[in-house]
Amino acid sequence: MVDTEQMRIKEHENRIRSGYMWALFCAVLWGLWYIPGTVVWTIEPFTGMLEEVSGMISGDGPLVIVAALVTAFNALTVIIALMVWNGTLLRLPELGRTLREFKPCSKWFLIGSVCGGPIAIFGSFMAMAFIGGAFAAVAGLLYPGVGSITANLWYGEKITKRAAVGILVIIAGGVTIFGGGLINDIQSAEGVAWLGYLGGAMAALGWGLEGAIAGVGLEVSESDTGLTARFVFELLLWWIIIIPALAIAGFPMYEYAIQVFQPIPLLVMVFAGITFGFCYVSWYKSFPLIGVGRGQGVANLYGLMSIIFLFLFLGSTPAWTVFVGGLLCIAGAFIMFTEESLEIETLRG
Amino acid sequence: MAKRPFKFRLLELCTDEEPHWNNDLVNQVAKEYGAENNKFMKETLNFDLIELAAFGFLQDIEQKVDDEGVWLKGALLHKYVITDYGKARAQDACLGPDIGLKKKREAGEI
Repeated sequence: MVDTEQMRIKEHENRIRSGYMWALFCAVLWGLWYIPGTVVWTIEPFTGMLEEVSGMISGDGPLVIVAALVTAFNALTVIIALMVWNGTLLRLPELGRTLREFKPCSKWFLIGSVCGGPIAIFGSFMAMAFIGGAFAAVAGLLYPGVGSITANLWYGEKITKRAAVGILVIIAGGVTIFGGGLINDIQSAEGVAWLGYLGGAMAALGWGLEGAIAGVGLEVSESDTGLTARFVFELLLWWIIIIPALAIAGFPMYEYAIQVFQPIPLLVMVFAGITFGFCYVSWYKSFPLIGVGRGQGVANLYGLMSIIFLFLFLGSTPAWTVFVGGLLCIAGAFIMFTEESLEIETLRG
Repeated sequence: MAKRPFKFRLLELCTDEEPHWNNDLVNQVAKEYGAENNKFMKETLNFDLIELAAFGFLQDIEQKVDDEGVWLKGALLHKYVITDYGKARAQDACLGPDIGLKKKREAGEI
């Protein structure tokens, strides 16, 4: 006689383990995304566009306008990667069904896309432009705090004591990285790149809220289709509302958008699309398995991954506060990782 | 009538408030969506059930070993029943106010 109880526990442990595995994949891919994200600021047509827009408006505005075009192309290449993914998994009909259920289901992905796209991803590109890739990456590290607290207050998602400790350590890591750079900036002659810090804060807030909001939509939809629905909305936001609005305001959006279709910028944007698209696939897959808070907590290792990748590929060495903060983030993720899996048999309180 | 997403339909089948084995639910939905012979699709649907249980919509009330190989020989079969939370969310989220009320109706409350 096989002990069904033992088998059930084993099945449950496997489920939690695969949830953590997905979250870890997300961290690696997300870390890789900061390479194209940083490189994009050094290549044509974006450098040329920055120059032209700088002649139209002064101050920090031009970088923000270019960041809008970069984010819009990021959304476009992500959607191409996701369509291929859904096509392979035979999910395209399910995607149509999910999008049609606007009121009960896909409206959550629309709201999530606003938080994730024009707030978080756009904010990240701003932070990359004003301060740099490593900073942009670690600035976003605070988002699991926002995500788990929102999910807890809104629909009572469980946060065990251990998970709470892990989240706190991760946040301490994020603060170290943020604070270190800010103190340096204040002391330097060039002054503080406030818009970069604002971008970093937007990343943390946007991604945290997106996770919690998407959690509601994911309850009644599949993760692959839910995620694609979220990017369909983001794509529409950029290409139907924001880019045309900027073009009407007189900025050369379409002129430079056409110029992106050359080998180098296209390669960089496709690299961004693939890494970011699949990082999101893994991210959304981990949520139903281990919950929004824990999924975000482990995925947070992206902060450290990005520092390693940026060092390996671009040779940029960040400040020591970034290393200390990165180590704290790993420690926090491991505190969450070692949680007794039966404590999270059901994710809701 | 247009078909609805998989999870909506799985949840709808559970709103009779009776317990269901996972293989029965999966086979029923796979048949309705023309995927009765698609093993991959059935795995996906089974995973949807696991997710619905993880979110607290369904409760896993009984397990037995699949000795006959109706799902996967040697693996566990799960029996699910809809929870109050599942009913509440199903009503406001995807299936309208008149579902999951079989027991109330039988009790003459409505």
